[in-house]
Amino acid sequence: MLETVFFYLFGGLAVLAGMGVVLAHNTMHSVMFLIFCFFNAAGLFFLLDAEFIGIILILIYVGAVMVLFMFVIMMLDVNRAKLREGFLQYLPMGGIIAVILLVELIASASSGVFVSDEMVQAVHLGQEVNNTVEIGKELYTKYLLGFEVAAIILLVALVGAIVLTLRERKDAKYQNISAQVNTRKEDRLRKVKM
Amino acid sequence: MANVTFPFPFPANMEILLPEIIIAVMAMVILLFDLFVSKEKKQISAWLAIATCIAAAITTVNVTGSESMMTFYGFFVQDYFAAFTKLLMLAATVFGIILSLDYMKEETNIGEYYALMLFALLGMMLMVSATNFITMYLGVELMALSVYVLVGYQRDVLRSSEAALKYFILGSLSSGMLLYGISFLYGTTGNFDFNLIGEALANSGDSARTATLVGMLFVLAGMAFKVSVAPFHMWTPDAYEGAPTPVTAFMSVGPKVAGFAILMRILVDAMPALEHDYVTVLLWMAVLSLAVGNIAAIAQRNIKRMMAYSTIGHVGFVLLGLIAASPEGYAAILIYMTIYLFMTMGTFAIIILMRRDGIQGELLDDFAGMSKVRPGYALAMGLMMFSLAGIPFLGGFWAKFAVIAAVIDAGHLYLGLAAIMFSAIGAFYYIRVVKYIYFDEERVAFNFSDNVLMKATVALTSIIIVVIGVYPDPVMDVCRMALAGLV
Repeated sequence: MLETVFFYLFGGLAVLAGMGVVLAHNTMHSVMFLIFCFFNAAGLFFLLDAEFIGIILILIYVGAVMVLFMFVIMMLDVNRAKLREGFLQYLPMGGIIAVILLVELIASASSGVFVSDEMVQAVHLGQEVNNTVEIGKELYTKYLLGFEVAAIILLVALVGAIVLTLRERKDAKYQNISAQVNTRKEDRLRKVKM
Repeated sequence: MANVTFPFPFPANMEILLPEIIIAVMAMVILLFDLFVSKEKKQISAWLAIATCIAAAITTVNVTGSESMMTFYGFFVQDYFAAFTKLLMLAATVFGIILSLDYMKEETNIGEYYALMLFALLGMMLMVSATNFITMYLGVELMALSVYVLVGYQRDVLRSSEAALKYFILGSLSSGMLLYGISFLYGTTGNFDFNLIGEALANSGDSARTATLVGMLFVLAGMAFKVSVAPFHMWTPDAYEGAPTPVTAFMSVGPKVAGFAILMRILVDAMPALEHDYVTVLLWMAVLSLAVGNIAAIAQRNIKRMMAYSTIGHVGFVLLGLIAASPEGYAAILIYMTIYLFMTMGTFAIIILMRRDGIQGELLDDFAGMSKVRPGYALAMGLMMFSLAGIPFLGGFWAKFAVIAAVIDAGHLYLGLAAIMFSAIGAFYYIRVVKYIYFDEERVAFNFSDNVLMKATVALTSIIIVVIGVYPDPVMDVCRMALAGLV
């Protein structure tokens, strides 16, 4: 009973926060709503006994990703009036697609697959089951290939970000370290007769 | 599943992963190697990358047996089908690197360029060997992420950055759609494995049907983005035009082969129960792609944009093979991809050769009167264009013939006729290029940079499409054999 109440609390707040992200006028408010949404999603994970994933969601997404996001938004000069240009032009097409999607999702949600008994009944784990250990075991054994490939994807992201941003500029002034080290007194010092 | 015992068994058959391991290791070696060599010797990276591809091709052939083998607890499969598509992608990468040799010479950070190409290749190879959505999605992302960076590699060129950004944003959206669809399929079947999903869908009742269909739609839409099928083709012309030309050549073949190969696996293994539904969806996608690709190309003055629409049109033809949903259809896709590889690489090699002292040479007008200056290249370009148009007794004809025959065999007569009609419309813009080359007066001074390897690429691809055109049987037999692992 209590679990159901909390499920609807977290779920409902997550949906409201999600709407807030889209509807908020101030971009910073959108980010705040998104953070709130993540907290509620973490709450849902806690209800499923997946406390590790819940905490990771808060630590990584709220703690790291969203902070970076905020920096980016603060540095961008977002012109909302300009963003709204062409809103009416794209509204009909976008609206049609949105309505079709909504109908599809409602149809699939009400078709019975997500309300059959076995699907809604989350099985609670015993006290002795350690989330972190179990995830670790699965990740480093059965899902090892995916784990390794994910590592390579991160490497590519790293290399890509550097390649696209780091360029030697021809007009920039660089230190010539070997010249600095090899310099002698005679090069720099000049005796002037007074 | 939660009770994993230790020590966990070491994955059996690890040797079938050897080509991928070679490529991953060598890509990282090239990344490091580039740091330690002087500017003049940076080109060695390219040769290393070519050597890597050749080594990977040899190991691919050697580790593939007639039985399909799995490793990593069934997450990775190696069979004739995977091996054949991998060889195609390796060939595409080697051609891509050869085309880059001169083109990218003046760029800085050239080592990372070749490393990223290898990483993209690695992602594609993982895709075609995937047996479940996890390996497949990771492969897709690895490929896509590398190609985004490659598209934007010329950071100082505005259109290159613009193309990369457009491609990245739409690509991320499509990845989201793909994942959303996968989550629906996981929700209804409780599995990521293609075969197990197929079994679950075959046994599931009507209650799950709507949700499964939504999942299937999203997966198809996500993959359609990646292989630029209309109506998900919007990024293609801009990305193709803005990308460095060798990257355009690479991305118009490699990711398409990988995308269609994995689509075939998904449709054959996971969705046989939904055949009627996905055929309906693909049917409209195919008609739209054929229409958009062949009609919109007529209006293009830039040959790279024209080739982008040409790709969309060809992808429409390839979809016919999926719609046929028969071994003949799938074999036809492999035949199409093989021939398309050579046609595209040859065409882009000539487009790259057109670049000279500050002129991009990408406008159709730039090709005017080429036959008087360089009859050899003009002849090759003419052959490529006729082949792309599907004129009989060149490679491209057999490719189109195979898919259309398969789709008519499967009972879609009108679709086959529509494809023939659009092919005829498309022939107009291909042959227009030939008209510029042979019947127009020279407008600009030609000054080809004569690289032996580029010449060899042009000559090789032209000879191959003529040979396949005259005698297609060996290629068709190999493609039919390659289906062994799939059906």
